[in-house]
Amino acid sequence: MTTTTLPKAPLQIYPRRKTTNPVLAAVIRHALIICALVIMLYPVIWMVSASFRPENEIFNGLGLFSPNFTLDNYVNGWTSGSLNFSRYFLNSFLVTVLSIAGNLLACSVTAYAFARLSFPGKKFLFALLLGTMLLPSQVTLVPQYILFNKLEWINTYLPLVVPHWFGVDAFFIFLMVQFIRSLPRELDESARLDGCGHFRIFSRIIMPLAMPAIGTTAMFTFINTWNDFLGPLLYLNRTDLWTVPLGLNSFLDATGESSYGALFAMSVLSLAPIVGFFIVSQRLLLEGVATTGLK
Amino acid sequence: MRKAQHVKSTRFTLLAGAAATAILLAGCGGGTSVTANQAGTSAPDGKGDVKGDIQVSWWGGDSRNQKTNAVIDMFTGKNAGVTVDRQSADFAKYFDKLNVQAASKNLPCVVQLQGRQINDYTKRNVLLPLDGMVDSGAIDISDIPKAVVDAGRGTDGKLYFLPYGAAYDAVGVNTTLADQAGVGLPADGYNWSDFTQYLTTAQAKLPEGVTAANIGGGRPNYFIGWTQANGKTLFDKDGKLGFSKDDLKQYWAMWDDLRQKGVTISAQKSAEEPTAPDQSYLAHGESMTDTLPGNALTPATKTLTGAKPGQEMTTIPFPSGPKGSGNALYPSGFAISANCNNIPTAAAFVNFFTNDLEAGKSFASDNGAATNTKVLDAQLADPALSATKKHELELYKQIIAKNPPTIVFPAGYQSVFEDSFKRAYQEVSYGRMSIDQAVDKFFTEANAKLGQ
Repeated sequence: MTTTTLPKAPLQIYPRRKTTNPVLAAVIRHALIICALVIMLYPVIWMVSASFRPENEIFNGLGLFSPNFTLDNYVNGWTSGSLNFSRYFLNSFLVTVLSIAGNLLACSVTAYAFARLSFPGKKFLFALLLGTMLLPSQVTLVPQYILFNKLEWINTYLPLVVPHWFGVDAFFIFLMVQFIRSLPRELDESARLDGCGHFRIFSRIIMPLAMPAIGTTAMFTFINTWNDFLGPLLYLNRTDLWTVPLGLNSFLDATGESSYGALFAMSVLSLAPIVGFFIVSQRLLLEGVATTGLK
Repeated sequence: MRKAQHVKSTRFTLLAGAAATAILLAGCGGGTSVTANQAGTSAPDGKGDVKGDIQVSWWGGDSRNQKTNAVIDMFTGKNAGVTVDRQSADFAKYFDKLNVQAASKNLPCVVQLQGRQINDYTKRNVLLPLDGMVDSGAIDISDIPKAVVDAGRGTDGKLYFLPYGAAYDAVGVNTTLADQAGVGLPADGYNWSDFTQYLTTAQAKLPEGVTAANIGGGRPNYFIGWTQANGKTLFDKDGKLGFSKDDLKQYWAMWDDLRQKGVTISAQKSAEEPTAPDQSYLAHGESMTDTLPGNALTPATKTLTGAKPGQEMTTIPFPSGPKGSGNALYPSGFAISANCNNIPTAAAFVNFFTNDLEAGKSFASDNGAATNTKVLDAQLADPALSATKKHELELYKQIIAKNPPTIVFPAGYQSVFEDSFKRAYQEVSYGRMSIDQAVDKFFTEANAKLGQ
């Protein structure tokens, strides 16, 4: 190099002025983001590609493509042996929808009470509620099992759904309490002047404004319930009651034959509702993350 | 400590009534409960009417579930008025569920277990001894080899589960690679020094990237085989380690020598290996030999034909020693829980699953070779039996003919011994500890928890 435009310029790695070409900047920025995205998504991409490979080629390395493209895994996996994924998806949807409905109702009502009402022992009860978040779920596992067993709720969806209708998810209550507290009280007061009772204030004022928190709660309840494995494992014995994760588990057998092809194919399908739900509620969710500070 | 516990099956009507959705959902479920009465006597004879409801639980994937369900259907078909609540999950998850059920004294009536975990449960008195039922004739053990039946005994010497399928560990050999290396199979009755010699010779002629053995020092199963062949005791009567530190030092020195010569895969590569036997390096044709559960031959062969088309594998017995065969048996079988309220039916089911000829043929030794010799012979006589399955069953017959050792595994074996053993050898193979240090570490860890 014989030419230097700036004779006095010290050795510099970065250009002194920001590039003015917005297209170039955008291309570079996007290229970097796409690279990062591919790295993060590679395991998922690998799983999708593995689901299109013949059974005995699945674990042949990190490559994505095989000359023997096949749809067999999907066809065989959907109704393989005694498994019936139409049924499992339906069951999963039923449990998930009922859990979300319960959680939204119970958590929002409880949160309203903690955020807006004053009653004796409120602080103590709220501390108690937060205290339950510190309790690991493993601790309550066995007592819960004994309780539900005595209620004769084994082989029903009740143990998976009913707790959600009693506001046991302290985290979501806390989330909503914090959100409702941030709403201006003047709105309540003006509604009260117009003759609204608690129910009206809750349903007409607070709920519409708390949509981001509601969306976040719905989304996370959906993911938790959809992916829940231990609950269904403990409480659902009959195969016609199984949810998707139980169906997926029965493709595996550490002591016999596993069918990994069908496992990957059905795993791909089981991700679809989560991705779909996320796309639909994305706007609400991002707002929720931004306004509730949830990560 | 056996407490006569009477659990009333009262409904908590108050709570149930409070949930409006509860009623709605109960409609689609038809709920049941595993409530049961504690047996009145300590050693029930299992006699009585075979009727009513029992729960049966086992581990396995879909193919095992179908076979097990077929046998259960045969049982309910022959015994009108019996209904069976079926529960299954994959091995690890199965025990998660079982532990919750055991802790809440609600174990299913009939529980599938192995000798490796049985004493975790017998220590807590959640299983019934079957001896009374054997004496009364409710459970028949006359067609099962004694060595196999004894594997179902607890540390107190009582029979706690009736083995129906016997798994064993074998040495899996990739015959294509062995022939390429010009070593073939080890001679019949080979011992451990023959085996290491065999591996070293083979390594010299194997292609790049293929090793003669997987990292054997970290495999508890190989070690168990070595102790049995050399007449060492694995566990003493208190459930603590029964062999000496010098034994283990000698054993690890043997494997570590092979590792340093490049005869085994590297420690780094070993850490990346998938745990399922049908996805091991042996099954992918990257290792010429490895210890392999006898019944994994069929799935592992399937993987090998996909990964390295044209290659074949077989299984051979473990190396022998001065004290004979090193092939321990790992039978699986059904136990009856202490909280079972329908012992006659449970005993009849356990007996049916293990001894019925048609049931055994239908189950087709899916979880280890059928222990009932008549069932086994019937399967071997079946011309439809696949070549790999036939080999698996015949190898079992060879092993059982040599009167294999029976090991009673103390409580905590699966959770303590196996993990600690692998971890301690890993310290050696990564060069972070000397063999002496690793042996000390393993003895301290294992003896602290075993037998409790």
